[in-house]
Amino acid sequence: MDTLVATGGVARRPSRLSRIVDAYGQELVVSAAVLVLMAVAGAVNRRFLSQTNLTSLFSGNAYVAVAAIGMSMVIISGNIDVSVGSLIGVLATIAGTLAVKGYPIWLAWLFPVLVGVLVDAFIGALVAYARIPAIVVTLGFLSILKGGLISATQGAWIGNLPPAFFIAQFRLFGIPSPICFATVLTVLAALWMRYSALGRAIYAVGGNSDAARAVGIRTRPMVVFIFALNGFFAGIAAILFGTQLQVIQSTVPPNLELNVITASVIGGVSILGGTGTVVGSSLAAVLFAVISSSLIFLNVSAYWLRAVLGLMILATVLADMARRRRIG
Amino acid sequence: MRISLRSLLRHETVLGVLSVIALAVLARQSDRFFTTDNILNQGRLVSELGLVALTMTFVIVTGGIDLSVGSILGLVAILIGVFWKAGLPLPLAVILAVGLGGVAGLVNGLIITRFRVPPLIATLATLALYRGLAEGISQSRSVRGYPEYFYVLGQGEVGGMPTQLWLLLAGMVVAAVILGRTTFGRATYAVGANETAARFSGVAVDRTKLLIYTASGLVAGLSGAILVSRVTTTRSDMGMGLELDAITAVVLGGTSIFGGRGTVAGTVLGLVLIQALRNGLALAGVKGDGTIVVIGLVLILAILVTNIFGRDGDG
Amino acid sequence: MDRARRLPSAFEAALAEGRWRRAGPPLSPCATRRAPGPAPTHHAPYIPLPGYVQRVSISAFRNPLTGGWPERFRIRSVRASGNQRVVKSVVELRDITKSFGGVSALKGVSFEVRAGEVHALLGENGAGKSTLIRIIAGSHVPDQGEIRVEGELVRFSSPRDARRRGIATVYQELLLFPDLTVAENIFLGNAPRTRLGALDWAATRARARALLDALDSPDLDVDAKVGGLSVANRQRVEIAKALSQDPRVLIMDEPTASLAQADVERLMAVVRRLRERGVAVIYVSHRMQEIFDLADRVTVLRDGAYIGTRTIGEVTEDVLISMMVGRSIDQLFPKSDAPRGRTLLEVKNLSFRRAFRDVSLSVRQGEILGLAGLVGAGRTEVALTLFGINPATSGEILVDGKTVTISSPRRARDLGIAYIPEDRGQQGLIRSQTIRENLSLPILDHLSRASFVELAMEAKHAREAIERFGIRARGPEMMVRQLSGGNQQKVVLAKWLGAEPRILIMDEPTRGIDVGAKAEIHALMSKLAGQGLAIVMISSELPEVLGMSDRVLVMNRGRVVAAFDRAEATPDAVGSAMTRAGPGEDAA
Repeated sequence: MDTLVATGGVARRPSRLSRIVDAYGQELVVSAAVLVLMAVAGAVNRRFLSQTNLTSLFSGNAYVAVAAIGMSMVIISGNIDVSVGSLIGVLATIAGTLAVKGYPIWLAWLFPVLVGVLVDAFIGALVAYARIPAIVVTLGFLSILKGGLISATQGAWIGNLPPAFFIAQFRLFGIPSPICFATVLTVLAALWMRYSALGRAIYAVGGNSDAARAVGIRTRPMVVFIFALNGFFAGIAAILFGTQLQVIQSTVPPNLELNVITASVIGGVSILGGTGTVVGSSLAAVLFAVISSSLIFLNVSAYWLRAVLGLMILATVLADMARRRRIG
Repeated sequence: MRISLRSLLRHETVLGVLSVIALAVLARQSDRFFTTDNILNQGRLVSELGLVALTMTFVIVTGGIDLSVGSILGLVAILIGVFWKAGLPLPLAVILAVGLGGVAGLVNGLIITRFRVPPLIATLATLALYRGLAEGISQSRSVRGYPEYFYVLGQGEVGGMPTQLWLLLAGMVVAAVILGRTTFGRATYAVGANETAARFSGVAVDRTKLLIYTASGLVAGLSGAILVSRVTTTRSDMGMGLELDAITAVVLGGTSIFGGRGTVAGTVLGLVLIQALRNGLALAGVKGDGTIVVIGLVLILAILVTNIFGRDGDG
Repeated sequence: MDRARRLPSAFEAALAEGRWRRAGPPLSPCATRRAPGPAPTHHAPYIPLPGYVQRVSISAFRNPLTGGWPERFRIRSVRASGNQRVVKSVVELRDITKSFGGVSALKGVSFEVRAGEVHALLGENGAGKSTLIRIIAGSHVPDQGEIRVEGELVRFSSPRDARRRGIATVYQELLLFPDLTVAENIFLGNAPRTRLGALDWAATRARARALLDALDSPDLDVDAKVGGLSVANRQRVEIAKALSQDPRVLIMDEPTASLAQADVERLMAVVRRLRERGVAVIYVSHRMQEIFDLADRVTVLRDGAYIGTRTIGEVTEDVLISMMVGRSIDQLFPKSDAPRGRTLLEVKNLSFRRAFRDVSLSVRQGEILGLAGLVGAGRTEVALTLFGINPATSGEILVDGKTVTISSPRRARDLGIAYIPEDRGQQGLIRSQTIRENLSLPILDHLSRASFVELAMEAKHAREAIERFGIRARGPEMMVRQLSGGNQQKVVLAKWLGAEPRILIMDEPTRGIDVGAKAEIHALMSKLAGQGLAIVMISSELPEVLGMSDRVLVMNRGRVVAAFDRAEATPDAVGSAMTRAGPGEDAA
């Protein structure tokens, strides 16, 4: 209901610069925050800015950025997925199990991705065709996957993995592969979402599903597809996550879905759907990595991390709501 | 509300039948199932979830959701330990902590009403924030050694029934009466069915929501006190996953996740079913993790079935 | 591949007679150059020749309004269809029957529209107009009957099929994406591509600009987010969107419902230009003035049945109304004089943020104050402030002589103020609840004791209200959703009259209601005034304002710009006041 009336069309053409700031404002803010925080942490503790620290920081958290790409797409389309953390735990365990059992390495990498796609496609089908709200489906799957994982593995660690398995520890042209993956996938995804009709359809479905249908977009297969994409990125994130250390813990990484969702939201994806970019969410994932690392270097107990995350989501969402109300 | 009562009756009869079948099957599996001891014990165990599910019913009927109840429970549990260790007499510590649980719920309500943040994301954020506060404050240390009289709440009995079960039963009656027969209950249904029209009809929408979310936090805090009293310790991971169970019970009971429809009676049936499942699985040797798989499945199936049945009466 | 080198002289003769219109540039043997930009998937314009139809496929983006072709284009193919009867109708529907869940919406309706005509579709609410256009647009599939496009039998399984056939629709509920830009909204779904297949944003923006300029909207920024635009501008985007498909049939559903007069003129100019270009326009409207100004033919539906088609020149408004209603309506505005009592509501210099400023008015017992103005003038906002939804930021409100602050609808109700909202479905009623529940919602505290609802009292109240207002329903437990529009409005009225208000604010009280029920509601308003209520009536229908009001206030851009007595209020005076400037402002 419009209680405040917008005052007609824009009478003047905004300059190029202001247009860019409007469109990419959130991404700029996040980048600025990253730089500022790094400067502060570096000022307090020199070792923060050392190459080893920074490399392990970015490399160790790149998987969050990858997962956030899929999550951003889901949120932009007007849904949400709180089961992604459990899914990643499950997929990483599958990968490790395959590798240990002697299957070819490429299978141990690709099969979990496939499983991720299928599981999330199923979730998407439940959301789109059975009309069960995404929060409920994914809340249910969070338990199903987490409980299933622990029941099946009792939390056992998977060791004795073949050295060729640890893709996250490789380097391409001197850059750790997780960073390469995250960057390449982010760029590709961003281009796809900007320049392909299918990518724009994601925004359409999230912006106004009736209008999307009227334009000829088949919203229900789209939702399934978007969730399947989420599964794909979750799979890759799982591989990167699982191969960081020499062993795989068959547990669900704590906070992961929260991290991923927060990354998307802070990166500019509006929780109401219809707007946001994957570049923003990847930048925000970087921001978190910096935050969690800074906490350590600033001698703040790691137990406060979750509280910080919660505060950040709140702050961003409140700001988003305030901004929307001004535009009306 | 007779027409939707008819379709709800259909849902509740299905639920009732399912419960009877489930109970019968489980009784067959283990002869320990239908003993008074076991039933009372189950009643004790389900009270914490039950109380939260009662307020969750109100929340979901207004079309909202509260994902932070588990975190509020954990936070209040920690605060009880903190206040007591700080020297406050235990009753005061408990009251203060539970009161803060209500404040946490109020904060949820304010974010939702004042700032217009969708309940989903607001309570997702506070889920993290409150749990984070619990973890940060406790630094993952647990508190033990509460005085004996405290355990009456969680482990004691009054007139042959566990203390908290009395609380739960009282809560059920109060909730059912409020939702079904008072003006506040009507306001709740109106807000869930069409918030704008409710506002335009003079219903104090924001105040209704604030009260409901505050109650949700308060009751979650109370459940926290009961839990601490029952397990004689406080830990920062208490109540994890509580929101899933509560939402499942409510939705299983026929409340529409979209709001506007639902009854306390339905939630009670849902609770019975869930606890029976849990108990049955435990008796059959399935460990806790297996149980949450089943609960997750039940949640999804419950809404699936509601969608199939309720499609005619849906808004 | 044949290429017609020269038009046969018979065709030239036909052109001269005015029987056929040129839909594109003359065919030229040299026209082989590639057009800039990607190959469109548009249908082809055709040039009907006597004796046979020739289809010419041209690869280029033609400006659908000016008909301008880019300098270069290519003829893809020319096809002769052999000896066929010349097809005159672009779209023809025969014997269409459609029902939804057992309720019949259309029965044996036939309809056809020709190229280069504006064909109006007239009928009351529930007559089946929107079902019909949705069938043409491909959103619904008819249960029986055939659809022909240019003589060919077609079956649309989705709106996309219809669009591919050149049928574009502008619905009343604008289907736009608020977070996307104007340019993207216009071209979403058929955006231009670069050679690599990627979306060409530069071309999208350029073409959007061209389209908007042709629609006389140079002030609309193609990069603006649609969500921030006014309703009128959003509609311009919607029309541009429809035109971007270069349609041969354009369906417009109540396009002027939310438009200011200036925008209405602009829209009609656009429609006339489309007609000249040979586009068939189906124009759904209930505004007689526009239909007589614009349409060539008009078809009337009533209760899902086809009543008749007339040429505009051969018919009068009364005939059309009687076709629509099945009987003649002589007294639409039975406003009788009521004794005026004391001033019940007085407002002094009221303001709310930027929505309206310095508004002063007063209403007496027995008086109907009409609040006229364009959409967006701030009238509803004043009502919302008086009703407590948006408490005033400055100014004074006096109810029955006493200064009050109205901080919530509950308070407004306690003061005796009731508001019948504009948007019946969303704001006025809870459609998924029963009549009884809806009726009792505003007065629950009066129907209860110690917060406990007295069910017997409530049921009695509901039964009495149904009888008193003549609500046609099976009983108080019927779901409001199942009632007709007029009956739903009666429930809204009954609900608020049950609160025994002294001041009644009615916002567009007869919008979307059929002519029969309209008269009933006007009669009710007169009766209420006679009983001593003070009524504020917000209406965008000038005849209604002029017919029902004792006094008229005109608002524009958030300020009161004119006040008229019943005698002074002429259509011209009030109409021109609606665009007048407020004190210290430029004219709209």
